[in-house]
Amino acid sequence: MAAGTAVLPAPDASVSARTRPHVLRWPQRAFTGQTTPARLRLLLAGLLALTVVWGAVAAWTVATRTSATNNIVGVSEPLALDAQQIYRSLSDADATEAAAFLSGGLEPAALRRQYQADIAKAALRLETATASAGNSRAASLLATLAAGLPQYTGLVETARADNRLGLPLGAAYLRQASAFMRATLLPAARDLYAQENAQVAAANSQATAFPYVAVIVAAIAGFGLIWSQLWLTRRTNRIVSPGMVLASAAGLATLIWLVISLSLAAAHTVSARDEGSIPVEALARADIAALQAHADESLTLIDRSGDDSFQQDFVTVQRRLGPGLSTLLGTAAVLAHGSPGGSAAAAAARAAPDWFAAHRQVRSLDDSGKYLSAVQLAIGSNSPSSGALFGRVDVALTTAISKDQGAFRAAAQAAQTDLAGLEAGVVVLSLLMAAGCARGITRRLAEYR
Amino acid sequence: MSAARHTRRLVVAVAATAMLCVPACSSTGAHVPSAPKTTRAQPKTNIVSGTGPATCDPTASLRPTGPPVVTPGSFMAEIKTHGQLIVGVSASSYHFGYFNPLDGRIEGFDIDMLHAIADAIFGNPNSMRYVVVPDTLRTKAIQTGEVDIVAETMTATCKRWRQVDFSSVYLDPAQRVLVQRNSRATKLTDLVGKRICAGKPGVTSWDYVVAHMGHTDPPTMAVPAETWADCLVLLQEDKVDAISTDETILDGLMAQDPETKIIGGPLASQPYGLAISQQHPEFVRFVNAVLAKMRADGQWAAIYKHWIGTPVPPPPPAHYRD
Repeated sequence: MAAGTAVLPAPDASVSARTRPHVLRWPQRAFTGQTTPARLRLLLAGLLALTVVWGAVAAWTVATRTSATNNIVGVSEPLALDAQQIYRSLSDADATEAAAFLSGGLEPAALRRQYQADIAKAALRLETATASAGNSRAASLLATLAAGLPQYTGLVETARADNRLGLPLGAAYLRQASAFMRATLLPAARDLYAQENAQVAAANSQATAFPYVAVIVAAIAGFGLIWSQLWLTRRTNRIVSPGMVLASAAGLATLIWLVISLSLAAAHTVSARDEGSIPVEALARADIAALQAHADESLTLIDRSGDDSFQQDFVTVQRRLGPGLSTLLGTAAVLAHGSPGGSAAAAAARAAPDWFAAHRQVRSLDDSGKYLSAVQLAIGSNSPSSGALFGRVDVALTTAISKDQGAFRAAAQAAQTDLAGLEAGVVVLSLLMAAGCARGITRRLAEYR
Repeated sequence: MSAARHTRRLVVAVAATAMLCVPACSSTGAHVPSAPKTTRAQPKTNIVSGTGPATCDPTASLRPTGPPVVTPGSFMAEIKTHGQLIVGVSASSYHFGYFNPLDGRIEGFDIDMLHAIADAIFGNPNSMRYVVVPDTLRTKAIQTGEVDIVAETMTATCKRWRQVDFSSVYLDPAQRVLVQRNSRATKLTDLVGKRICAGKPGVTSWDYVVAHMGHTDPPTMAVPAETWADCLVLLQEDKVDAISTDETILDGLMAQDPETKIIGGPLASQPYGLAISQQHPEFVRFVNAVLAKMRADGQWAAIYKHWIGTPVPPPPPAHYRD
């Protein structure tokens, strides 16, 4: 579709540019050698042709715009939402299961339910995304995810079964599950999300592209109408031709309606992007990094193989998260500023340092051999545990994401509404224009009979 | 197998373990071992004089000077003022040093050895701080002073005696082989061309497998794993055909999966010692005094019975070099 707008205007524009001087000279030459009725017939034919072209171009412009806007609302945005939800659900499952494991053989029911809900949601979104995924790259990513999800849950269930028996084998299986999640599933989910976001951005720029062809044709049509009326006035000594006035009014109405609706729709689409999809993408990236760090904290406590790779990963992710200039949380807060999720995004950035401080305390407890206190501080319900402080960041981010997703949808739907009825209206008005021209000129022709 | 692949060298199955790797372990997977090196870095500090790898008796430790007493000015007195014995342990070797998810504590045979030493110093067996040390970093943890003592199914070898001191032997298992119950292999050499999980380079069982299966045709693959529990995961997922290490550790794995069996005779003796810094010979003698007492008063037998089972063999006799 993007190619259509880029390619189509060019030949039209060049044709009109090449023929314009010809159009200007030819009627005059043709006119000078003709009788007035013949000239009027020629004029009528020219005006009708111009009207038809204008109507067609205007209708085509509106149709393209409407389909791009419909594509955002009906296809790209739902797919991007699916991809984001898959990515988040999988990350959350990884973090939740690790936290549940930390509680010992008997997992807290709430965490178990959350894990199950994550897996169910990921599976459901995978199915809807697969049903509507046409393009082959997304399809292969979705296939990776669909094949990997049962493998992951299988490892987790084995881990749980062994853990319930008090076997260290359980922790080994959980590590493997988490490694599989991080090495295979999450990268696929991330790529899928990036791809669907690119689709949204492409549809967005298509829906806001400047309508060159329509503008050029409108200028030509307007010139043709004005020139014809001036000529008629000179020839027939009548100041006003009602038919031609009707045609001009219809043309002007089309133009005004078109300009207003297209501008409104473009403005809504731009706000859908700037207050919707762009902040959502930044917020989602921050949220997923936060989930990864949260899982790292639990996995460090579970792992106990003596190597501190999960803690190193936490430190890396913490640095990426920020908050601060060009960190994930900082960028998300800046991009979401002024959007409906702006305040929640700022709250997430403010809440993060508390969580990191609690995490440092967890580490120092664990490093000084107070393992059970460290676990208590990590997942305990009393006092603001590291897990609860992470929860504040997570809740703020997911609130911001869902608000901005709402803003995106509302703005994209508003753009759809802006264009409602425009296509039919343009066709009707063009017919009215043609009728006006025909009436205006046939009335003059009749005077020569 | 193509001729080009007949390098007659043990192949490390990097790909097989890639999925097991936690974020930072990839470096271990890339290691391609050859036969054990004979040249070694020069020892940093003086050790048992006149003993090289050829003549060393790795089971001979320093003779206790009497019953365990915390003498003033000794390393034991220093530990006592710190209030805790800092111990290097494993958290994944079932029945030896493992994290019990049911009570959130690290337990096992090795841990009970440490409880006895803490009891001898503080009069309280629980005055300990656990540091989980990967197998490959055990000597380093002692040398840097990160831990006071390591009890982690650690085999006393002449190579390691150059870097750390060991207590007298407190358990003397043999290296053996664990396979799935339906395996037709009956000994290590039946596993030529198969995949064997044997810890990591630097661990004695890995070195043994490399030395004895490193030149087979078709090549046998040694698959590294972070912990012994990880080896069992690989076996259960059919990513390795066998696990080879000390029978005590294999017993722990078998206890977690009854569909496995131990095959073949003892391959190599793996005398376990508690590792202590070479800076503190008085602590080695103190620990040996504790061990001597445990052998005599039945505490060793009780611990053996609890973690390994009956029949309880006589404890390994203590050898001393001076």
